[in-house]
Amino acid sequence: MSGSAGKTAPAVQRATRAAPGSRKTAPAAPHAAPGSPAVIDTPRSFDVELTARCNSRCVYCFFFDNDAVEYRDLPTADWLGFFDECGRLGVMRLCLAGGEPFMRPDLPELIDGIRRNRMRYGLLSNGSLIDDSIAGVLAASGRCDYVQVSIDGPSASVHDASRGTGSFAAAVRGLECLRRHGVPATVRVTIQHHNVAYLRQTAAFLLDELRLPGFSTNSAGYLGSCRRHADDVLLDVAERQLAMETLVELSERYPGRITAQAGPLAEARMWSRMLRDAHEGRPPLPDRGRLAACGCSRTRLAVRADGSVVICTMLPHAVLGHIGRDDLHEIWLRHPLLVAHRRRREIPLADFQMCRDCPYIDHCTGNCPGLAYTHTGEIDHPSPDACLRLFLEQGGRVPETADV
Amino acid sequence: MTTVTRAEDFTGLRLLANPDCVLREESDDWGVLFNPDTGQACGVNPSGIAVWRALDGRRTVAEVEGWVLTGFPEAPPEAADEIRAFVDELIAGGFALIVE
Repeated sequence: MSGSAGKTAPAVQRATRAAPGSRKTAPAAPHAAPGSPAVIDTPRSFDVELTARCNSRCVYCFFFDNDAVEYRDLPTADWLGFFDECGRLGVMRLCLAGGEPFMRPDLPELIDGIRRNRMRYGLLSNGSLIDDSIAGVLAASGRCDYVQVSIDGPSASVHDASRGTGSFAAAVRGLECLRRHGVPATVRVTIQHHNVAYLRQTAAFLLDELRLPGFSTNSAGYLGSCRRHADDVLLDVAERQLAMETLVELSERYPGRITAQAGPLAEARMWSRMLRDAHEGRPPLPDRGRLAACGCSRTRLAVRADGSVVICTMLPHAVLGHIGRDDLHEIWLRHPLLVAHRRRREIPLADFQMCRDCPYIDHCTGNCPGLAYTHTGEIDHPSPDACLRLFLEQGGRVPETADV
Repeated sequence: MTTVTRAEDFTGLRLLANPDCVLREESDDWGVLFNPDTGQACGVNPSGIAVWRALDGRRTVAEVEGWVLTGFPEAPPEAADEIRAFVDELIAGGFALIVE
C-alpha cells in the first residue's frame, strides 16, 4: 500500500460510509473468509523456542524426544537478526519458550532486541531460574505481557512427582519473585493422571493462598516425551470426566479466574455446546463440519530452537524454512506447505471414516492438528484424542456448563 | 514533546505519529495500529491510515484534517469532526505526540 492509498477509489467509497479511525479491537483477518486462502499480509506473532536446553525433564514434556527436531541452540546474533526481521514485518508479539528460556544467559540482550524492534513478549517457564536480577530486567523492559509459570499441584509431593524434586519450591519462588518486581505472572496447570485428584486444592492454593488473579489449564497430550510415558500420565476417560466436572465446578466458584484453550475445561465447554446444539437441532457455528481447527496459522508462526521456521510448535516436523536464510514474508505468504495447511479448513469431516455417521459432525472442528499428527501420522485428519463420540462411547459424560 | 489528551488542547500544535508505534497493513486497505509500550492495538480503516500518515510532525490537527479530506472528496460533512475525534484517540492512546 503506497502513501497515497487513501486516494484510491475503494478508500473513498469506504470513507463516505465509515468513520475514519479505530475499531475497538484489531480486525481478524479482514479478507480471510472461511475457506479462502487469503491471509493477512504478515504474521502478528511468533512462538519462539529460544533454547533446546532445559533444567527439568518433566515426564509429560511435549518438547523433547521428537525425532524430527535437532536440539541445538542458535547464537545471540541469529536471534537478534530474526527480531530485526520481525520488526520490519510489524510483528507485534513473541511468545518465548524452550526448553526453558531462562536457561539463556543472553536473555537480557535478546529482550532488548525485542524492545528495539517495537514488539512485546511473553515467556513460558518452569519458574525455577527466575531471580531478582532477571525479573528486574523483565520489569524494566516495560514490554513483558506475562511470564507463565508451570505449577501442577498444591504441594511439592504432587508437583514434583512429574517435574522433579525441588521443582515446586523453585517454581513458587520464581513466581513470587516476578510478582515482587511487578512482572505480570500467570500459572499454567497441566492436568494428568498424578494431579487430577488435586484440582480443588490446586485452585485453592493458587487463587486463595497465593492470591493470583487466575490460572489456566490444559492436559498432558500425546506429544514429545509424553508418548513414552503415556500409560502413566495421560488421563483415561474417567479421569477426564473427573477433571471436566471439577473444573466446571471450580469455574463457578471462581468466576472468570480459571481459563483454558485446550484440555478438560475447554473440552467441557466445547462438547457441552456441541451436545446442546446437536440435540436441539440448532444451526452449527461457522466453520464446523470441517477441519477448521486451529486457526493459528492465519495469524502466527513458530520458530524452533535451531532456527527452523515451523507451522506450529506442536508440528515441529512441518519445516517452512530457516531464520536468517529464508525470507519470512515469502514463507508467510507463499510457502506451499503453509498455504496448504491454511486450506485444511476446507476438508469436510465427512471425508474421514471415524467421522461418518457421527451425530456431532456438523458441530465439530476436528481439533488440534498437532495431536492429529501424533495419533494418526497425518496433519489433515481429525484428532481422535478430542472425539466427543468416542468419549461418550467409552462411558464418558460431559458436564453441563453454564457458559455455553 | 508534551502530553495532552484532548484535541482542543493542541489546536495549532504540530502532531507526530509516535515512532515507537507500529502500523501493520494487514490487507489492501485495513490496518492495525499497535503501541508496544501499552500493548494497545486498534484496527484502522483507510481514512484512519491516512490520518496516521499525515502525522508527520509538520502538520497541525487542522492541516491533518485538510490533507486527509483532500484525499476523500466524497467524505460527509461530519468527517472533519470524526478525524478530530480520531486524533483525540490517537493521542490518548499514546499513538500520536505533540511536537513543541
